[in-house]
Amino acid sequence: MNEFMERQVKLTWHEPKASYDVVIVGGGGHGLSTAYHLATRHGITNVAVLERKYIGGGNSGRNTTVIRANYGIPEAVRFYQRSVELYQRLEEETGRWIMHERKGLLWLAHTEAGVRAERARARVNTAFGAETLFVTPGEIKEIAPEVDLTGGGQWPVLGGSYHPQGATARHDRVNWALAEGAMERGVHIHQRTAVTDLLKEGDRVTGVMTDKGPIHAGAVVSAVGGHVTALGRMAGLRLPIRTHPLQAFVTNHYALDFHPIVASMSLLFYASQTARGEMLIGAEIDPQPSYSYRSGHHFLQSCAFRAMTLLPFLRRLRILRQWTGVCDMSPDYSPIMGKTGVENFYITTGWGTWGFKAIPAGGEQMAELIATGETPELIAPFALDRFARDRTLADRGSAGTH
Amino acid sequence: MPTQSQSSLIVDDEPIHFDPGDTLLTALLKADRHPTGGGCLCLGGDCPHCVATVDGVAYVRTCQTPARPGMTVERENIRGYPALPADRRPGPVAPAQNLHCDVVVIGQGQAGRTAAADARADGKTVITLDAQAGQEVIGIYPGPLVVARTDAATLHVHPRDEIVIATGAAETQPVAPGNQLAGIVTARAADELAAAGVNLGKVVAVGAPPETIDVEHASGELIRFEGDARVTAVIVRDEAGVERRHACDTVAVGLGFYPRDMLARMSGDFPVRVVGDAATEARIPPCPLAGTVCHCTGVAVEDLDFIWAQGFHEMELVKRATLAGTGTCQGGACIPHLRSFLADRGAELQPAFTARPVTRQLTIGEVSAGAFHRPTPRTPLDDIHRELGAQMDRMGGWWRPWQYSQVPDEEYWAVRTGVSLGDVSTLGKMQVSGPDAQELLERLYPTKVSTIKPGRSRYVLLLNEAGYVLDDGLICCDSASRYTLTFTSGGSTTAELWVRDWADSWGLDVRILNQTMALAAINVTGPRAGELLARAGFQAPLPYMGHTEATVAGVTCRVFRLSFTGELSYELHHAAAEADILWRRLMALGAELGVKPHGLQALTRLRLEKGHILIGQDTDYDATPRRINHEWAVKLDKPDFVGRRAVIRTNKIPLDRQLVGLETALPAPQEGDLIYCDGQYAGYITSSSPSPVLGKAVMLGWLELFDGQLPDAVTVNGRPARRVPPHFYDPDSRRARIEVTPRANAAQPLPELTPRSGRGVHGTGLARLAATRIVARPAALSSAAWPDDLIVLPVAPDEALLLGRNAPDELVARVGDPHALAIGDTSFVAAELTPEAAEAIFQRTCEWEIPPDRPAFAQGALADIPVKLWLEAERVLLIAPAPFATDVVERLL
Amino acid sequence: MSLIIPCPHCGARPVQEFVYGEIPVVPDDLTDPDARDVDRAFMRANPEGPTVERWFHAYGCRRWLTLERDTHNDEIFSAE
Repeated sequence: MNEFMERQVKLTWHEPKASYDVVIVGGGGHGLSTAYHLATRHGITNVAVLERKYIGGGNSGRNTTVIRANYGIPEAVRFYQRSVELYQRLEEETGRWIMHERKGLLWLAHTEAGVRAERARARVNTAFGAETLFVTPGEIKEIAPEVDLTGGGQWPVLGGSYHPQGATARHDRVNWALAEGAMERGVHIHQRTAVTDLLKEGDRVTGVMTDKGPIHAGAVVSAVGGHVTALGRMAGLRLPIRTHPLQAFVTNHYALDFHPIVASMSLLFYASQTARGEMLIGAEIDPQPSYSYRSGHHFLQSCAFRAMTLLPFLRRLRILRQWTGVCDMSPDYSPIMGKTGVENFYITTGWGTWGFKAIPAGGEQMAELIATGETPELIAPFALDRFARDRTLADRGSAGTH
Repeated sequence: MPTQSQSSLIVDDEPIHFDPGDTLLTALLKADRHPTGGGCLCLGGDCPHCVATVDGVAYVRTCQTPARPGMTVERENIRGYPALPADRRPGPVAPAQNLHCDVVVIGQGQAGRTAAADARADGKTVITLDAQAGQEVIGIYPGPLVVARTDAATLHVHPRDEIVIATGAAETQPVAPGNQLAGIVTARAADELAAAGVNLGKVVAVGAPPETIDVEHASGELIRFEGDARVTAVIVRDEAGVERRHACDTVAVGLGFYPRDMLARMSGDFPVRVVGDAATEARIPPCPLAGTVCHCTGVAVEDLDFIWAQGFHEMELVKRATLAGTGTCQGGACIPHLRSFLADRGAELQPAFTARPVTRQLTIGEVSAGAFHRPTPRTPLDDIHRELGAQMDRMGGWWRPWQYSQVPDEEYWAVRTGVSLGDVSTLGKMQVSGPDAQELLERLYPTKVSTIKPGRSRYVLLLNEAGYVLDDGLICCDSASRYTLTFTSGGSTTAELWVRDWADSWGLDVRILNQTMALAAINVTGPRAGELLARAGFQAPLPYMGHTEATVAGVTCRVFRLSFTGELSYELHHAAAEADILWRRLMALGAELGVKPHGLQALTRLRLEKGHILIGQDTDYDATPRRINHEWAVKLDKPDFVGRRAVIRTNKIPLDRQLVGLETALPAPQEGDLIYCDGQYAGYITSSSPSPVLGKAVMLGWLELFDGQLPDAVTVNGRPARRVPPHFYDPDSRRARIEVTPRANAAQPLPELTPRSGRGVHGTGLARLAATRIVARPAALSSAAWPDDLIVLPVAPDEALLLGRNAPDELVARVGDPHALAIGDTSFVAAELTPEAAEAIFQRTCEWEIPPDRPAFAQGALADIPVKLWLEAERVLLIAPAPFATDVVERLL
Repeated sequence: MSLIIPCPHCGARPVQEFVYGEIPVVPDDLTDPDARDVDRAFMRANPEGPTVERWFHAYGCRRWLTLERDTHNDEIFSAE
């Protein structure tokens, strides 16, 4: 045994029923969190989560586990700050060790425009409840002495923002803690159950067809990642989503000595050290849409090089593994949550590269919407119809890579 | 320091001797030091039991590493995880080596050797990679691309036809109590260790025995190993069910083989042929009963039982919950046993978890081989900026001067009260001609293009289909069938893509010539700008927003009268090669006028006082013309243009926020400061500056509407601010539009300049090529007869780059296309290389295949620089944009 | 991703040399003009399977090409 083996969570499986009050499609973090919050906050337990593979096997188990609220627009800062706070309480609430660790996140700027952007970030974060400080190169060196402020002589660090509440947690453990908490209260989770169509009466969704038969539902929630366009099509919806691969890699295990999360505005990478001592490094999405999970060499080569430019100690670390997930990107780089215009069909998508950090708040808010029928104020701006209403939530600069 | 013996290495700070042919592992074992303290050694690179820190790199498999004098080895697991290196400065990075072949064969055992010989016999070019020869394949990637680590370089092998995987099979690790002890080896390892001279003592064999050494057979089922740190006995249960104890110094376990199939499983759709033992079907060992299954993470059978009982049944979930298979051997040792365990409990054999690179490890420095940062181009005036001590900044994708002077506001006042030069070479510049040129622009731009008269320009927005502002710039009319367009520095690449994409999809008859790099541009601005130009010999009366061809200070220019700073301004567009001389002449001619250069910091202040927006700084993704208060630039009574329907649609929706002008007392708030109205959030500042001339702070910012109204009084960072029209300075633009009387006889003789010979572009020694670029109908271009002394590079079906002569008028006359566009293009540098030198560069930096014919033309990325290659039998011309000259020298030559 | 894009003019080059561009297609059954406008500006077919798209060869000819690619596995069928 190792100290990081899961010793607490017990998963209980059931046979599917013919109908549930709520069917959630997608057994990733957002689906599980929605089920968990339906059960714990609203006493709604006649709920099924349908997962076509295994729980947490999509992006929820492939992401790089960064938790932060340092976004660039008020709506996003408020929402993610709620999630940051829920994460901070999640271990206590579930009684499960999710390996939540506050690390502090440094976002480095290398141009005058970058400095301006980080200064602005600090302002809007602080005003909407997320602490972020503008930091000078000298302060950066104190927080992360590993950073080469000259950027290898090519990408000098001119300043940055520091987000002290930036944290990480073990993605799998978050998924399992939520799954177990939901299961304990009666929620059914069905793995290896693929939704093949939606059941409809007129314009109303009444359930799902699965590869194991029909399941009726009072409400259907799409919490899928990667294939939301196909599910939306079943409901007759067109979605503003493009699916792109996102890659990351880890090194072998080293003694714990690198505390913060470091990211660069210009070099587009971020790095942190996991509790197990791996250096975990990621970068931007692949530019073209694709559903392919195959890892590429150019990503690894380029991302490794960029990270090493600012963190020279990485050079002699040996790489262990690289992997790929697929991300649903929205045109304004903000998520989409809420009602869809199709009765009984709700959606949570557009989680791009920022889904993990939103799992607690996303699930909490979606559960409230389903339980009350009213869109909570916190997520109202993220509605699907914002594109037609000319109320997009542009935040590309904050979506970044992590 | 004591001299190292020729045959010793340092292990945990102590020297130990090694013999010729030793690997680090055999040397360590001869010195009675197990690298990790225990575990069944396989010598095949499959298990995690021989890893150590070698010369500062942790997790090196000592069995795969030849011992060399003076190497340092630190043993890892004895002390816990290795420390992170303390490097604070960049260190050397391995070079890349790009190799092209028909067939690559991975593994050079019997099967691999046969496959390579067969392919060669078929006339194929073959590259073999063999871990035993120090070529460790780390992955097969889409491309296809085979990447291998060697001590000297990281190999990027690009096979055309086939990848043959002949990686053999790994020996199954024993799972039984005590399997973490030292003194346990696989059967094959026992043979190899004995051959290398490692003293194994008394060897007991479990399962298939070693082939070359004398052993005591322990027949029956493996039950456990006994010993303290090193094995002293192995216990087996014989067929009768009786446990038998065999005392020993070493146990050789022959439990069968498991194909090394990681590479085959990650190869995807590219034709991969797996041969030899690697192709055998995986034999699943018996379900493990007790002992460690995954040594990397210390997961034992009891842990698997526990996690199974907790409801984790999927292979992937078991891996994630226990972490088995996520250590340094990536499941190499434990996957067969995990599969066996899960098949036993779940009655279903689950596939191994996904094979992911890297299969053999390499460092971040090694995998970076061949990687380069995207280069930042330098303008033709870059040397001058740096000589003047400018603080340079990357802006809009270019290196640009931020400020020259340490004296506050000096550059600003030079513009407001005298005359100043600014480098605006980075502006996007494009010519469009053809029968449909006007039609293209009418469809693209929200302005009435047909009303722009020849010789006049107009400020324009470029909208996307959502009605959001993509970019801004000018349309300058040369004639009804020829226009010059300008774009912002940061937006020019996107704009080129945008214009070409629409021209293609509408099928319009136009020629498009991108002249962003070919033309440098200097902005002469300030109330005395006219005086300076007169001294430089420019006499023409040029109205505001007019443009004309002229000779300025002896340099042929297109002169645009416009104003971004708010003062009288002339933008001089001219050939890149002439920028240095034009700038220096203007500085000399303007010395008596007190001319000074100004950088971006001053420029952004000057334009802010005029309320000119900066796309990207003052606009966001969803900046509609209405939101940025530019509805005047959009003519909805035009029949159609990109974004028209969206603008009409969104205009029906109540406005939520607008980009407005704000002012407050000094000191100026900071960009990014928040705006509040009656304690409510109301927006944020996008641009802010003290206005020296107005004595207050001026700002642009996004302000929200309250009850459909923009508030007039707000606070910015807690201080009261007032909403005002954004034209803070000279609101009627009298200064910019001022009528300039031609000054006859004001022209001064051209100043004598110190020649700058021999330094080449940006001090690289590379000279600018004399060339002509021509865009014409493909048929007209391909049938043109060119002078014999020119090298003709067909850079696109409708574009040729003619090397050897800067003669656009003469050469374009040879093309049978009245709408052809031509430019003397001095924006390229070239290096002439021997074929051997070129080949060496290609091996290091070229991920694609150079055409074999000679002569040949090729273009693509080398070291992330867009290059063109003219390949002759005796020489290679490497041609690159001059803005990347420094990068060419540093990365390629 | 290490897609290789066959540029009809320059030859096969790594995807890093290109800029991706999509071809928006508004479904025929969408009839309301404003709805069509919104769809064209924001909505995506996002197919998992064969699709036709545009790529701009930024490091070579600086022209657009039209590519047929399967987004499921990145197989490329044709380029022109």
